Amino acid sequence: MEQLFAALEGGLERLNSAPTPEELEAVRVELIGRKGLIAELSKGMGKLSPEERVATGKKLNEAKQTLEAAYEARQAAFKSAALMQRLEAEWLDLTVPPSGLAPGAMHPITQIQTEIEELFVSMGFAVLDGPEVETEFHNFDALNIPPTHPARDMQDTFWVEGGHLLRTHTSPVQVRGMQTFKPPFRMIAPGRVFRNEEVDASHEHTFTQLEGMMVDRDVSIANLTYFMKTLLAKIFGREDVTVRLRPGYFPFVEPGFELDIQCMVCEGSGCPVCKHSGWVELLPCGLVHPQVLKLGGLDPAEWGGFAFGLGLTRLVMMRYAIDDIRWINSGDLRFLNQFGGPRA
Amino acid sequence: MKFSRNWLADYVPGLTADGAELGRQITMRTAECEGVEDHAPQLKDVCVARVESVEPIAGSPNVKAVVETGRYGRKTLVCGAPNCRAGLLTAYWPLGVKKIAGVGSEGMLCAGDELGINRDHNLIVELTDVAVGDPLPGLVPDAVIDIDNKSLTHRPDLWGHFGMAREVAATFGLELKDPTDISLLPSGEPQVNVQIEDFTLCPRFSAVVFENVKVAPSPLWFQYRLQAVGLNPINNIVDITNYVMAELPQPMHAFDADKVPGQTLIARAAKANERLEALNGETYDLDPSMIVVGGLDGPLAIAGIIGGDPSAIGDSTTRIIFEAANWNPVAVRKATVKLKLRTDASMRFEKSLDPENTLRGIARAIALMKLVCPEARLAGGVADVRGPAVAPAPIRISMPWMAKKLGRTIGQNEVVSILEALGFGVTSANGELEVTVPSWRATKDISMDADLVEEVGRIIGYASITPTAPRMDVVPPKINRERAFHNGLRRHLTHVGFTEVHNYSFVADAEARKFGFDPADHLRVLNPIAEDQALLRISLLPKIWKNIDDNRKHFDQFRLFEIGREIHKRPEGLPDEVPHLVAVVYAKDDGVAGLNQLKRLALDLLPEASFRAVAGVRSFEHPARTVAVMAGDTSVGRLFEFHPSFVEVGRAAVLELNLRTMEKLATGRTVAYTAVNKFPSSSFDLAVVVDARALAGDVAQHMPGAVFIEDYRLPDGRRSLLYRLTISRPDRTLTGEEVTAERTRLIEHLRAQGFELRA
Ligand SMILES: [Zn+2]
Repeated sequence: MEQLFAALEGGLERLNSAPTPEELEAVRVELIGRKGLIAELSKGMGKLSPEERVATGKKLNEAKQTLEAAYEARQAAFKSAALMQRLEAEWLDLTVPPSGLAPGAMHPITQIQTEIEELFVSMGFAVLDGPEVETEFHNFDALNIPPTHPARDMQDTFWVEGGHLLRTHTSPVQVRGMQTFKPPFRMIAPGRVFRNEEVDASHEHTFTQLEGMMVDRDVSIANLTYFMKTLLAKIFGREDVTVRLRPGYFPFVEPGFELDIQCMVCEGSGCPVCKHSGWVELLPCGLVHPQVLKLGGLDPAEWGGFAFGLGLTRLVMMRYAIDDIRWINSGDLRFLNQFGGPRA
Repeated sequence: MKFSRNWLADYVPGLTADGAELGRQITMRTAECEGVEDHAPQLKDVCVARVESVEPIAGSPNVKAVVETGRYGRKTLVCGAPNCRAGLLTAYWPLGVKKIAGVGSEGMLCAGDELGINRDHNLIVELTDVAVGDPLPGLVPDAVIDIDNKSLTHRPDLWGHFGMAREVAATFGLELKDPTDISLLPSGEPQVNVQIEDFTLCPRFSAVVFENVKVAPSPLWFQYRLQAVGLNPINNIVDITNYVMAELPQPMHAFDADKVPGQTLIARAAKANERLEALNGETYDLDPSMIVVGGLDGPLAIAGIIGGDPSAIGDSTTRIIFEAANWNPVAVRKATVKLKLRTDASMRFEKSLDPENTLRGIARAIALMKLVCPEARLAGGVADVRGPAVAPAPIRISMPWMAKKLGRTIGQNEVVSILEALGFGVTSANGELEVTVPSWRATKDISMDADLVEEVGRIIGYASITPTAPRMDVVPPKINRERAFHNGLRRHLTHVGFTEVHNYSFVADAEARKFGFDPADHLRVLNPIAEDQALLRISLLPKIWKNIDDNRKHFDQFRLFEIGREIHKRPEGLPDEVPHLVAVVYAKDDGVAGLNQLKRLALDLLPEASFRAVAGVRSFEHPARTVAVMAGDTSVGRLFEFHPSFVEVGRAAVLELNLRTMEKLATGRTVAYTAVNKFPSSSFDLAVVVDARALAGDVAQHMPGAVFIEDYRLPDGRRSLLYRLTISRPDRTLTGEEVTAERTRLIEHLRAQGFELRA
């Protein structure tokens, strides 16, 4: 018995100095396990007198508590060390670029088109499509451009078999709009248009336009200017923009305007971007010509409207200061991939 | 079209605005000014000088001249003009001292081109009746305002200075002075016989004869005015015709009357096989679509375009016929296209000139003759033949209507004074204005009330109109489902790593053939930019292939897509434009990952998609890596890898989808929600053993709901396809026996289809 107690005395030291979790466990089993030293000593207490039994029991209990506390402390130390080791071992270089697929980019034309579509839809405009191969009637005649009109010379038209043509502007969708909707209505029509022009840094035969039209009982120049300012403020991300209307001749509007925006580089004081005029020519617009309303099946005495045409390709070039229009339809990912990522 | 500020000021005497201000105002009220340039600003320093003495310079063709300039004192200078001689009165330009031929030259004596008078360069100008030291008479610095021709397309009146002066006078509220004195027209029997065969070709033809004509250079001030607006002075007679053209604008022609047989001019259609040697030295073949001024022996001039050489004015000419006619604009325009000859005159006739101007033109020519050819005498009266004139119908407008269109109120008095300043006749009746359109605006420009909104609006200035939101019904717009669908696809594709490209709609014959498409199936452009852009695409693939070929030079791997229209011919009417999506994964690997990604994409975009073997592959498809993308029995597109002969380096996997079919399938697609089963489900696996080249899709269609787990290659080369089936009942838990029974049923079903199952 005395020997056993002596072993118990040494047990504390053994627990504290167990070199591995496994040895710690072995010592625990040997000392305080169910068949360990304490249990064995407890069994031997039956031979003792009642007084001795009380004293020994108390002593064993104290010893057991001490040993268990030592065990737990030692075990916690091991766990903590193991965790430290794991954390240390799990070091990662998080600056290494990720694997997996990065998002691609929508074409910048699509992006600006979507922005403008969303704006106009929010103001009650429907979005319309029209064919890229058009009839002469829709592209010219119905827009008050009869065969003898010199304006047909201004349009360098691609003609195709069957007497049709590649639309030279999105304006034919005006006619389709009048044929589709009952007035009053508001619509825009973005799309691809074609001009028979040699391609160079600033000329393209294929580009994207956005046509807009509002038809109602009382539509004024003041209303047109209002929508144009709203549109341009949105496009250029400004609270307000300064615009001006000046006379412009387009057979399908009367009166017709060129709308200029005050140069945003120099704020109107003159710079190379605006050719020192303080203004940048942006879009043609006007009140819908009564003849166009008539050809669209509307009575010009009852209905009026405004129409405008916006060159999306040109807007993209302005927005990103793209120096060569040929990038737009190049399919070159070195160019296109630059337009990805979320923007607020 | 170039306008001289000084010329405009002739008709607007109160004008104080300089060229730049005029350019700005014209841009805002009338037509687009493209620039304003000073013309001959040096004239403010140039003065009359007399050559006092001339001595040769050894070894130089130049001479050393001493001149008296009065204003700048006596000067010594070097001059190279052969007409530099003592006693000559000429023009001196005080420039700094410059060493020429070893002699210090204090300024220069000027030739016509150095003063903006004409294009003479060899001779210095010779002056008479002038005092030394004075400015050159009639020559003052000018400003030239360049107006964009396109913005004058609809304004025949603005192709001359008088028309633009009317705009300027209205803009600045100044008086307009009409240069034409119609009382100058002589009465009496004309000495020229004018006939018009067809009034639609020639609505009016006026002419007059002058005799005792001395053909000579015009006075310098006259030349200077023409030169400023880009018209080269030729001789006094031709210069008059050009002057009237640039003024009224009425293009005119002068014939040598002695070379016009029978003094007869006939406006008529050209005859087949007629030819004319024109003033420019070219000979033109004419046809009946063109109009000519014919003589008794054949054409004398191509009407509205160019005169003929045989009847041209020459140095020996003494009698002339001035012609001022009005020609059919369409016929003139078509002739210019056919003849490939556009002239200052034809550009104006194309715009539908005012027929009232022919007599005014003659009257102006008579007045100008007195200035530049004073010896000449009128012979006989004016010949003037015209077709029936139709007065334009008056236009009625009301002030409330005008205010409604402008979007601001405007007083009746203001409207009246604007319209009157622009030459309209206005009377007021029953609260409305009745507006008569002047002849020079009536040929095609102004015919209805809307046209008057522009007249009023531009003169009050559009800046005076405050932008205002319209009153309009609040109606949500109809959704464009096709566009919304396409935009959704674009968003998805970019999120999963694809970049959008836009390609041209044109393909070359060779490109089509390379892909096995018949060029005859394509809609052909009749006037392509180049022969390799003559067909409209019936597939996006040729250009997509080019995208791959271009981009692989810069990237080892990439993903791109295009949404665009295929254009398919139809027997009648417009072609069918079918939207398609093509997505590409390119990588320098074994190609499997790319095909897998596109398969994933197809299922993302079309959850019900299945893939089926194709009967025949196209030449550009990898024969062992091509499937049809199906929705049930509907074909939606193809998934394939480009044939190695098309993509030699790396692999390009392609997913091609017909978006019209896709959209139909997506329309009305909803979520059919079923309650989550409260009772546990049971699963079992089935391994189907198939040949190495069997299609998993063929197996799966016999096990609806089976989830593919694994494709395992057996040692004998065959494959084991592992599927997991999960079954449950909404009202109870399945018993072990029921699960076994279902499994047995499936196994038997598969065996009946000829499949072998692995234990
Ligand atoms: Zn600027």
